[in-house]
Amino acid sequence: MEFSEHIKTANVEDVVLRQPLHPPLRGTLCITGHHLLFSDREEDEGRSSGQVLLLLRNIDAVEKRTSGSSGTITIKCKDLRVLQLDIPGMEQCLNIARSIETLSCLDCVSEMFPFFYRPSELNLQDQWGLSSPEEHYRQATELHNRWRLSSVNRDYSVCPTYPRAVVVPREISDDMLVKASRFRQGGRFPVLCYVHRKNGMVIVRSAQPLTGANRKRCKEDETLLQAVIGGSDKGYVIDTRSAQQAQQARMTGGGFESKSCYSQWKRLHRHMERGKALQESLIKLVEACGDESSNMDRWLSKLENSKWLSHVQTALSTAGLLAECVERDGRSVLVHGSEGTESTLLVSTLAQLIMDPGCRTLEGFLALLEREWVQAGHPFQQRCAHSAFSHARLQHESPVFLLLLDCAWQLWRQFPLALGFSEALLLRLADEAYASSYGTFLCNSEQERSVAGVREKTHCLFQALLRSRHRDSYCNPLYERTELAIWPSVHPQSLQLWRGFFLRWTPQTRLLEEAQEEIRNMIVEWEKLVMS
Amino acid sequence: MASPVSMPNSNALDAHIPTTPRDIKDMELLSDVCLLAGEDRIIDKDIIYICPFNGAVKGKVLITNYRLYFKSSDPDVSVTLDVPLGAISRVEKMGGASSRGENSYGLDITCKDMRNLRFALKQEGHSRRDIFEILFRYAFPLSHGMQLFAYLTQEKHEENGWSVYKPIEEFRRQGLPNNKWRITFINKGYDLCDTYPTVLAVPYKSKEEDLKRVAAFRSRARIPVLSWIHRENQAVIVRCSQPLVGMSGKRNKDDERYLDLIREANDTPKLTIYDARPNVNAVANKATGGGYEGDEYQNAELIFLDIQNIHVMRESLKKLKDIVYPNVEDSHWLSSLESTHWLEHIKLVLSGAIQVADKVTSGNSVVVHCSDGWDRTAQLTSLAMLMLDSHYRTLRGFQVLIEKEWISFGHKFASRIGHGDKNHADQDRSPIFVQFIDCVWQMTKQFPTAFEFNERLLLTILDHLYSCRFGTFLYNCESARDQHEVRLKTVSLWSLVNSKIDMYLNPFYTPESGRVLYPVASMRHLELWVTYYIRWNPRIRQQQQSPVEQRYKELLALRDEYLKKLEELQLSDSPSSHLANSSTPNTSSSTASTPPQQYTRLHTPF
Repeated sequence: MEFSEHIKTANVEDVVLRQPLHPPLRGTLCITGHHLLFSDREEDEGRSSGQVLLLLRNIDAVEKRTSGSSGTITIKCKDLRVLQLDIPGMEQCLNIARSIETLSCLDCVSEMFPFFYRPSELNLQDQWGLSSPEEHYRQATELHNRWRLSSVNRDYSVCPTYPRAVVVPREISDDMLVKASRFRQGGRFPVLCYVHRKNGMVIVRSAQPLTGANRKRCKEDETLLQAVIGGSDKGYVIDTRSAQQAQQARMTGGGFESKSCYSQWKRLHRHMERGKALQESLIKLVEACGDESSNMDRWLSKLENSKWLSHVQTALSTAGLLAECVERDGRSVLVHGSEGTESTLLVSTLAQLIMDPGCRTLEGFLALLEREWVQAGHPFQQRCAHSAFSHARLQHESPVFLLLLDCAWQLWRQFPLALGFSEALLLRLADEAYASSYGTFLCNSEQERSVAGVREKTHCLFQALLRSRHRDSYCNPLYERTELAIWPSVHPQSLQLWRGFFLRWTPQTRLLEEAQEEIRNMIVEWEKLVMS
Repeated sequence: MASPVSMPNSNALDAHIPTTPRDIKDMELLSDVCLLAGEDRIIDKDIIYICPFNGAVKGKVLITNYRLYFKSSDPDVSVTLDVPLGAISRVEKMGGASSRGENSYGLDITCKDMRNLRFALKQEGHSRRDIFEILFRYAFPLSHGMQLFAYLTQEKHEENGWSVYKPIEEFRRQGLPNNKWRITFINKGYDLCDTYPTVLAVPYKSKEEDLKRVAAFRSRARIPVLSWIHRENQAVIVRCSQPLVGMSGKRNKDDERYLDLIREANDTPKLTIYDARPNVNAVANKATGGGYEGDEYQNAELIFLDIQNIHVMRESLKKLKDIVYPNVEDSHWLSSLESTHWLEHIKLVLSGAIQVADKVTSGNSVVVHCSDGWDRTAQLTSLAMLMLDSHYRTLRGFQVLIEKEWISFGHKFASRIGHGDKNHADQDRSPIFVQFIDCVWQMTKQFPTAFEFNERLLLTILDHLYSCRFGTFLYNCESARDQHEVRLKTVSLWSLVNSKIDMYLNPFYTPESGRVLYPVASMRHLELWVTYYIRWNPRIRQQQQSPVEQRYKELLALRDEYLKKLEELQLSDSPSSHLANSSTPNTSSSTASTPPQQYTRLHTPF
């Protein structure tokens, strides 16, 4: 791979950089294969503020404007930062802009920065990831009676988006799984994702059944689901589509679990927005947040019109419904939408946060994300290719993962003591999902990661976060473990805009961040002395 | 088992209220009420509370000379109401003896604190007559020739809150008098201005006769007097009422000269006059004899701050109440909230105060007024002082701020709140003080370590703004308070607060004496104060409130222990010991390295 062919101008002197929260800087701009580097001219030792290192992948949109012999490039980042570069020399300006445009959206995974990132403190031989499906199963001994670990998908042939090993009812053979997989979109047959220790009920997730217009049936699928509820007389299916959408899906080969074929299962439909609608909502919200016009009278209407907060509300209330089925009603639940890689994961993850104290620690939360998003096959590369500023035509982009982080933030705000991680962690994850030096969020599935050699050739974000010098800042200093479920209030009055993310580059948000840091330091200092 | 289609939090209703045992006897139902000393039971009665969240709830109501207390008798629905009668704005009969429909006969009570209460009674034998009459008398004692409860209570506290604010001491703290400003007792008998305090600070060069002549040209004789002085640059905040310019455009040389004396006191080229009103309102005031400072005031600039009057604010809060009680508007919440304009008013008040504070920081003296100088003016001066002077951000300093800028300078609490008065439709009522407390809350949200007090203090203040249990917020001005011997015969709210300060402290408070706080008054950074305005709705209530408070108490204890240990170490160790320079209380490394100037930038989109 020759990045140099995309770099006509690698260095420009006398560039002025304007970025939020900082005074303008004059200095040298440098483009490499993966980074934009700016360094202040008068570089005193120890004064690092004059340096900006930006991952090109983080750049969502480039806008150039030339006037006379110089030009201005506006860089809009996926972390919602907007930078401006005043570059002397029109040709240089155009060259730089073209390089950024090309290098910021490389398609080939192996050309991406994580494959080149070799920090001295990390070793490629270090453990990759926090836990494998095998280990996770091994530790969940309470499952072993009724559930087994199947490696039917060991070569990803049964379901290309599942991991090699999945947990399924003990009495269902691999042959039956293969047959059941043909009845579910993308081969995503029902697999276990959570067992509720208090009552032994489980959450199972899948893709939609391929009943089609002719109301096809699949005996193995029905048996599999029967085995999920075992001796119990009833389970719930939470379908993240409206009843009407589920009906319509039959026309294109999809469908739902009909009452007659799955008599023990009660279906509950909750319409959740996905795909393009979510992406458009994000774009509208970011536009409203960045609106510099003096007329702010309509801010609340704009916020409402973006519908982002209503997506947050739907996600949290559907997750609440799921948790209610399991915890309060004492039933097992199957959750799916259509493909089972978006809203399905959103809801199952949030329900686990609500019910399971083990998921609310820093490690527990990262492990949850690894299981429910990375290993479960959320297509990060497609969904996070672009964010809200991009001028490119929308393809598969959708901020589902960002929505998850926002919902987690709402929980964090409503239950300031119950979650072991901090807002800083959520912000970091939001950044890393869109542009990262680590391999964790690369590719769309475990299979793709395996082909690309992600494990062997990149570093793992989760491991790095846990070992980081900044680990403390990812912890919540007020955290106190509670065994109780944390039921979020989902009324619009209880939900807030996640200012820390959406208004991140404003001075006020920065002040709040500093105050939170101060509070953390304070508590740490008190405890240190009092315990000594 | 019912299918789980309810909202996930619907079962958490009133979870904080202890459930009553099933075999409870009627008599015992009201036995756990904890009455205040001096509080007397007047009547109790079987009644049905029409709870907007749980439906009709059977129980018993108790009316004392201080409160309305209701407890449900149904063990499955545990509901308790504890409402000071002072919070009641209006009591009405609902339905008649012949009304049809279940629970259609009873009482409809409107409260001043964002809720309404409805009770139903048996439709026979005039069952509501006695309770209606008692409520009507005791909720509105002043309309019935009776005394407010503040004069009847016998409660005792360790601290005496009346000694919190001593005007002379506060002036001394600010460094007054000095060679530019003097203290005058000209208003000792309230002869100069009957709505001002007795002790005033005025320019050193002004003579007592000048003050009298200026008083003649200012609405209600509320002359320009000093509220606050900047220790370093000597710039001042001066407050007053509008000049009596009138249609003919009257001038008053003494007033003009007096304002110039204010400017001269710290030697700046220009004095800035902030008129809190919208320009058109100020013009309209000329018709009733008022007005604003024109070009004849040389060396002065006039800036209008566009803050609406008491009637607009009252209607705005009424609209807000409509969308939050009893049912919260869910489908178009944000645009409904926007249409109340409440946050917009908050924004204008805050950004006005920011402008005042910024002007003073840059060394320019300012004069603030509206029409009479007791509503918007009090909001602006007190908020600007809160931004400028960290003393007012302490628990006791905040009490001083309220005592000084609101109580002593004659914010008309009695008229704005209508203590003990049955005239619920009185046009003088307005939530100006609530709006101020909301602005303070917005600031505490934006600067979580800058205030020594917590949200509970703000809620307590607002509760007792209405309750009539303390003398603090009674009457319109100091002269009326003197006349009614408030300080002798009633208890101060600060007695209650200062006797158990632990409840009101913010564990993360970090004193920074030089820091000027500039909140962001952009709509994007303002929030509705849900835990106040929607606190009666059990579905909205933030759920783990009590564990959080518990944890904060633990942290306060931890902080105290830390400070104690630190002191021990510093005593036992030599001065050069490792701890002496590593940390001083509450000054964590991150704050120490942050120069206060970093906060002095202004970010206010107008």
